[in-house]
Amino acid sequence: MFKKKVTLRILLLLIASDMLETTVHFFFKKSVLANAKFNVVDLASAAVFLKAVFSSPFLWLGLATVVMVFIIWSTILSKIDLSVAVPVASFSYILVPLVSIIFLGEKVSILRWAGILLVLAGVILVSLSSKERMAQIR
Amino acid sequence: MREGLLVILFLIALTSLCDTINQLFLKSAIDSLNFKPTFNIIKILRFIFSLLIKPRLWLGFIFSVISLCIWLLVLSKADLNFAFSADSMHYIFIAFASWLILKEKFTPLRWLGTGLIVTGIVLVSLS
Repeated sequence: MFKKKVTLRILLLLIASDMLETTVHFFFKKSVLANAKFNVVDLASAAVFLKAVFSSPFLWLGLATVVMVFIIWSTILSKIDLSVAVPVASFSYILVPLVSIIFLGEKVSILRWAGILLVLAGVILVSLSSKERMAQIR
Repeated sequence: MREGLLVILFLIALTSLCDTINQLFLKSAIDSLNFKPTFNIIKILRFIFSLLIKPRLWLGFIFSVISLCIWLLVLSKADLNFAFSADSMHYIFIAFASWLILKEKFTPLRWLGTGLIVTGIVLVSLS
């Protein structure tokens, strides 16, 4: 019942889910940066820190985006195979470092980019192997 | 940073582990309902309702809340781009858990992919 072909509509949904997924992590990082004054050393200070983070609007924006990603992702998976969806959706592995560089002022070395690309290749292979397994089941 | 790196990697492993436990509970709750994919809205709503009253689902939910809390602690100590790549170690945990607990079979392609993820995380951590 699953189509293998990625239509334009599904591609747009996949791009949206990539970008929203990246936004989730950007919001989470922002919520933490807004509370950078806390020095977490033990469980008690961690609790104080988390309480402050959970009252940050960025965290709730992030959680709301998580829900949106979940709905879009469920729509995508009702239309195409997981093994097709995951490789396209994994571009957040590249988007997140880009957003980190542009909006958060983080530095990404060549070696780290190499590691990121290896992780991305691994994620794609793992998801392709689920297709292989579905074929075995059928 | 060097000494802190191990702590951060440990915390990322912990959040990945909580994520994996959540996934296993979720998978087990869904499997127990024996749901067939359908476009019938009423059947889908009934499925979601019976899923929501499964205690296993809420056990999983608790773990995902713990996972979020640890993740926020990680982000307070590490760069986002590093933490995000390193978090892909949940693929490794899920791979081993589905192999050990769910008795799913591993294909050579999946071993290769999991190996690449491990290598990638090592490179990302070294840089």
